[in-house]
Amino acid sequence: MSEELLRIDDLHVAFSTRRGMVEAVRGVTLTVEAGEMLGLVGESGSGKSVTGFATARLLDAAGRVTAGKILFRGQDVTKLRGDDLRQLQGAAMSMIFQNPRAALNPIRAIGLQIADAILTHKRISKDAARAEALELLRAVQIRDPEARMNAYPHELSGGMCQRVMIAIAISCNPALLIADEPTTGLDVTTQKVVMDLVAEIAAARGMATILITHDLGLAARYCRRIAVMERGRIVEEASPRTLFGAPQHAYTRRLVAASPTATSQIEDLVTEEERERHAAVVSKPRQELAHGTPPLLEVRKLAKRFDEGAAAVADFSMTMAGGESVGLVGESGSGKSTTSRMICRLIDPSEGEIVFDGQSIGHVASRDFHRSRFRKDIQMVFQDPNESLNPRFTAFDCIAHPLMRLDGMRGGDALRKRVEDCAERVGLPLDLLPRFPHQLSGGQKARVGIARAIACRPRLLVLDEPTAALDVSVQAVVLQLLDRLRRENDIALLFVSHDLNVVRMLCDRTIVLRNGGIVEQGESRALFDNPKTDYTRKLVEAIPHIETGPVLAAAL
Amino acid sequence: MLSYILRRIASTLPVMAIVALFVFSLLYIAPGDPAVVIAGDQASPEDVERIRQSLGLDRPFLIQFGSWVWRILHGDLGTSIFTNLPVSTMIGQRLGPTLSLMMVTLLLTIVVAVPLGVLAAWKAGSLIDRAIMAFAVFGFSLPVFVVGYVLAYVFALELEWLPVQGYTPLAQGFWPWLQNLILPAIALGCVYIALIARITRATMLEVLQQDYIRTARAKGLGQGGILFVHALKNAAVPIVTVIGIGIALLIGGAVVTESVFAIPGLGRLTIDAILRRDYPVIQGIVLLFSFVYVLVNLMIDVTYTLVDPRIRY
Repeated sequence: MSEELLRIDDLHVAFSTRRGMVEAVRGVTLTVEAGEMLGLVGESGSGKSVTGFATARLLDAAGRVTAGKILFRGQDVTKLRGDDLRQLQGAAMSMIFQNPRAALNPIRAIGLQIADAILTHKRISKDAARAEALELLRAVQIRDPEARMNAYPHELSGGMCQRVMIAIAISCNPALLIADEPTTGLDVTTQKVVMDLVAEIAAARGMATILITHDLGLAARYCRRIAVMERGRIVEEASPRTLFGAPQHAYTRRLVAASPTATSQIEDLVTEEERERHAAVVSKPRQELAHGTPPLLEVRKLAKRFDEGAAAVADFSMTMAGGESVGLVGESGSGKSTTSRMICRLIDPSEGEIVFDGQSIGHVASRDFHRSRFRKDIQMVFQDPNESLNPRFTAFDCIAHPLMRLDGMRGGDALRKRVEDCAERVGLPLDLLPRFPHQLSGGQKARVGIARAIACRPRLLVLDEPTAALDVSVQAVVLQLLDRLRRENDIALLFVSHDLNVVRMLCDRTIVLRNGGIVEQGESRALFDNPKTDYTRKLVEAIPHIETGPVLAAAL
Repeated sequence: MLSYILRRIASTLPVMAIVALFVFSLLYIAPGDPAVVIAGDQASPEDVERIRQSLGLDRPFLIQFGSWVWRILHGDLGTSIFTNLPVSTMIGQRLGPTLSLMMVTLLLTIVVAVPLGVLAAWKAGSLIDRAIMAFAVFGFSLPVFVVGYVLAYVFALELEWLPVQGYTPLAQGFWPWLQNLILPAIALGCVYIALIARITRATMLEVLQQDYIRTARAKGLGQGGILFVHALKNAAVPIVTVIGIGIALLIGGAVVTESVFAIPGLGRLTIDAILRRDYPVIQGIVLLFSFVYVLVNLMIDVTYTLVDPRIRY
């Protein structure tokens, strides 16, 4: 199998913006052989998705191929027009996307959406197309496919929606499938099932695949060849083994270091050269708490029922000591976010008790909790730094606001000093303080969110997937920051995440949740190394491990 | 679905009751003795007393209201003071022209405005888009009667393609009926075409940004399929809402249009009734319009559930 299917030759793509043309891809050269799975890896803004979209001819109106060729079976895709283009799209070449639920038409039954693709390319009757759609639903292993034909996307889970997308993509037996972050945002177990499905289908049908992802582990697991992109260029191309064993390019080294693995420590996440630059990060051992110290937080038999439905959380109990870090992991729907919000007193529990520093706070209604003296002691860092900052507040306002509300500061120099101090503690350059969120990068916004949360010197910080929206290299820096803050200020961290590698590194103890109940808990490393329940084992096994090497590629 | 419609109808009952109370109170809100108001300036005291007796105005307010509602529930809207004809008969005679005008206007509006809006959104930023939006601003800013007179002057008086004014019932043939309605419908529809074209464009622009439109393109679907099968239906909820509001506003517009084009419809009847202080007629018409409006709202809500499977009641 060495027949060349796709050849991208010195591709340049530019977007016209209000500030002129911006080059997103600057000279990408790449080949894909028939039937192979190629990984295209890079962080946001690296141009990996744009390369994929240019190949599938799905660039936004603002984007344009300014130079270079994309030869698909010897034909230049960039020059195709009208019917020639449509014969390519969805037939010879197809694509699946990030966020599968948004990628499906919300008001069209999924059977019809699959049939759409078939009817566009084949001259067959509607009934025949429907029958084919049903076969495709079977092929992507959707249970009870007859009933699902008439379902709408909102009635399906994210993983199911991605299966439907895959069914659409493979409906006309394409030679090339471009998968753009196909499993980002899905649970780790769903992620594995979906990727296994893609790999199986690709192998069975001899379909070449370009897997575009920010997750090096994922690419390593499924691809025999990985191309690493940075700022519009491919900086390195190699097999996963070489890439992880002996990365050549400085950027690859940094990326490999930043990707958390089953054994990595917080300190490992940046390369050595970088670590020297941030010499301040010295791990000082946490002082052991004297026996008999009352816990900082004690939660007893907490439960939450949303109207009518089953309990989102039931019988949840835990304790946390001051300065301790506890991980709360589980798949979506496991109740981990609900639990964290109850502890944060953003929503009211239906049952149970929350005791903070010896005082029961569970009975204070969440809408009155802002007046409680404990409000400043319990703060929260939210998932998406893009969505959780007020777009009309500058970074300064954002950090100053809790100080004025909760610490009674009135502005002036004292306030300015406190805000600048917070910014310094999270490593946010002071000249960024007058900026609005849209003028900050993802990592900078995350720092603003953390600075706001620690502004009033809380004793408990609840973090709801604080790094899920961040690139791995930014995530590495944020995790180090959190770890340092915890050590320096003795802040207890309740860390909600689906990323087990991150939890293992950051948290002393981990609690595994499923369907609103605790499945297993214990010291993090022991728990992940020797899971006692099947569920935890399944979670741990689903994490793409870089060390194990490409499972499927080896089998081929 | 059926139970939803029934529940919705039930929930409109209190609304209708309040509307009825307002309509009935019209007579009492006007300053002075209702009997004197109805009788007019030249009436003798005996006339006033006769009116007071015949309308039962000497009885307590609530009893009057109760018996009025009772009669309405039996289909009796009262008798015109001026013509002595039952109000329901008078409204019935005038219903045809107004309904015809509204239907033709609505059809014209949807047929013209929605494709214009889709076209403008598809070609956003282009010359076509700007031309359509310029036309929309123009349509907004012209009052119905100005457009009406200009249209009548150009197409009826100068070109003599269409009749200047008047109305021919549908029973006398489709073309004569339509001929008389074309100019009024255009005059009345102008504002709504502009409004709905703009809403369609704005909603379509937003929908065309969505991921599933990109999916449709990735499938290789043609432009028509993307615009009309995948995008327009997703844009339908706001468009249907505005069309519904448009129907309500049409009622007011019809009054002016009917005057300009001398169409013997409910609009003319309303104006005549107001000038003659024919309260039973005014009350009947207002009640009818309110009823239609409540009905249209119900239809819009039901349409939502047909368009969008995520909306369930």
